[in-house]
Amino acid sequence: MFKKILIANRGEIAVRIVKACRELKITSAAIYSEADKNSLHVRAADEAYLIGPSPASESYLNVDKILTTAKEIGADAVHPGYGFLSENGDFIQKVEDAGIAFIGPSPEAVHLMGEKTSARKLMAENNVPIVPGTTKPLESAEEALKLAEDIGYPIMLKASAGGGGKGMRRVYKPDELPGAQNESLKAFSSDEVYIEKYIEDPKHIEVQILADKHGNYIHLFERECSVQRRHQKVIEESPSIAVDDKTRQAITTAAIDAAKACNYYNAGTIEFLMDKHKNFYFLEMNTRLQVEHPVTEMITGVDLVKEQIKIAAGEKLSIKQEDLKINGHAIECRVYAEDVDNNFAPSTGKIIMHKLPSGPGIRVDRGIDLLSDVSVYYDPMLAKVVAHGANREEAIARIKRALGEYKILGVITNIHAFRWVLEQKSFLDGTFDINFVDKEFMPLLPNKWKSVGAEHYEKVVTILSAILKAKENKLKAVKLECTSKNIWDKQKYE
Amino acid sequence: MNDYIVTINGQKEKLSVINNHLVVNGDKEINVELSEINKHSYLLRVENKVYEVAVNRNGSDKYSFLLDGFYFETEVRTTLQEKAKELLNNREQAAHHDTIKAPMPGLILKVKKKVGDTVEMGESVVILEAMKMENEIRSPASGKIKEIIAKEGNSVEKDGIILSIE
Repeated sequence: MFKKILIANRGEIAVRIVKACRELKITSAAIYSEADKNSLHVRAADEAYLIGPSPASESYLNVDKILTTAKEIGADAVHPGYGFLSENGDFIQKVEDAGIAFIGPSPEAVHLMGEKTSARKLMAENNVPIVPGTTKPLESAEEALKLAEDIGYPIMLKASAGGGGKGMRRVYKPDELPGAQNESLKAFSSDEVYIEKYIEDPKHIEVQILADKHGNYIHLFERECSVQRRHQKVIEESPSIAVDDKTRQAITTAAIDAAKACNYYNAGTIEFLMDKHKNFYFLEMNTRLQVEHPVTEMITGVDLVKEQIKIAAGEKLSIKQEDLKINGHAIECRVYAEDVDNNFAPSTGKIIMHKLPSGPGIRVDRGIDLLSDVSVYYDPMLAKVVAHGANREEAIARIKRALGEYKILGVITNIHAFRWVLEQKSFLDGTFDINFVDKEFMPLLPNKWKSVGAEHYEKVVTILSAILKAKENKLKAVKLECTSKNIWDKQKYE
Repeated sequence: MNDYIVTINGQKEKLSVINNHLVVNGDKEINVELSEINKHSYLLRVENKVYEVAVNRNGSDKYSFLLDGFYFETEVRTTLQEKAKELLNNREQAAHHDTIKAPMPGLILKVKKKVGDTVEMGESVVILEAMKMENEIRSPASGKIKEIIAKEGNSVEKDGIILSIE
């Protein structure tokens, strides 16, 4: 087993990896930028190394600096978390060339799945269903127009190296095409853009897999991540209310086929779009740990990060497919520092109050604590609140309760908006799709969604406002009296 | 002097704070008690229910609150201050002068108008890049561009003024 793992990440995922290291008795080494000196991952790790200025390009994306640090401190493995360098095949190669283990897949698998056009081609060859579209990057604007016509609008434009909603645009009419192409290109340095049919009102269903270096593959069931804003997931759950046993059998088999096609090892996720008739199509493979991995951990009892570390150390999978079963239901809400009513603008500041929820079935993975700074430099996700219950109803009731207990002051968060989502009929009955937020929530911005279930509390804070102001006015009056004492001083001197 | 106007979610409520234990809202007398846990945390008893509320002060008249996962912003003034504020607002509206501010920190990619151009309310005038996304900033009013403060290629802070309209 490894002795020391360098965690090439920050925020909640770095903290999560520290916890796995501690349980495995491995020394954890955090890296941090100047902006992160008060961050939780720095406090949590056994060792912490300042690696550069605040912009990610000079710190968490600085390959040379991270490699040098790993070598200097004697790390024998690197965990990349998600985002940053986690899906950078060149980085993986350099780590391995330095004789350090990378906790993740091979650089070849990352290259194969990272280029979306090559990934689609590989999937098609291995009987994994794909969305109709091009398997070659677009060569010109004219070609894009012609292909869009052939496939039929609406279509989707995607930058080959994109992800997480970045570099993606939906196009309904030919005259929107040039602008969309431009934006996709700008988001990533790669100039490859491809085009595909846009499937209307689908659900986002993904399958978690684990594979070792000895050719053993297992899946850990599906997750549903259809509550999204601008292609960014906000609420995830497992299992999906829309996936029946037959579909589960088919989609998990397809996921394992996808992983086998690129000789995958370590933890990975295969994302699919599923339409109303439960047809599913391969979207992409995330060759890393996912943000939403805790919901899978809650229903299977498997610690995915520890499994990742063991796989990287060359161990065989200790779990067999037949040992796994779905235990209850889990749901996760991603807490972002953002002002929902102000076009979801990121909210920055220092955390001045941080009070965690607790009680049955609750887990919080977080990157913040009292006095940590939330800056513009990084992703605004602060924490993930996860609830587990015997069934979906109980999991939802628990997460609602936990979100009510969670108090964060210093930045504006989206917690209030979850209270709205968790009351909606289409969310509760499971008919929601990936356009749920756009269709049902966005029209209520700004502020029109706010009073759902809050009328009584509005009264309470109205009363509190008046009392606080009255208290302050009284203090001011007392101060005024104090200053009038100057008269006495004057009299003394005169 | 003990009468306050609280604005919440666009609605105005009038309350009288009689003493530490009594607040009057309309013709309703409400029995209350306040305990301060720390600068940001209060216990407020309203009749027979105690609420734990997180409080942040945003400027002299503004508060924000967290209560059971709900977030509220309020403005509170004495009746006199409220009247003064309304007067000021009316005067500003009469001057018919608007600014376009950056709703989030970002990079000004494009300003689509020049000084002297006319704009319609809701027309996209600026493209702001934030979080690798292009965001169209729309005009809150119709009028003529008076001044362009931000330059293309420069970054702006949240609420930074991009241009003004008259």
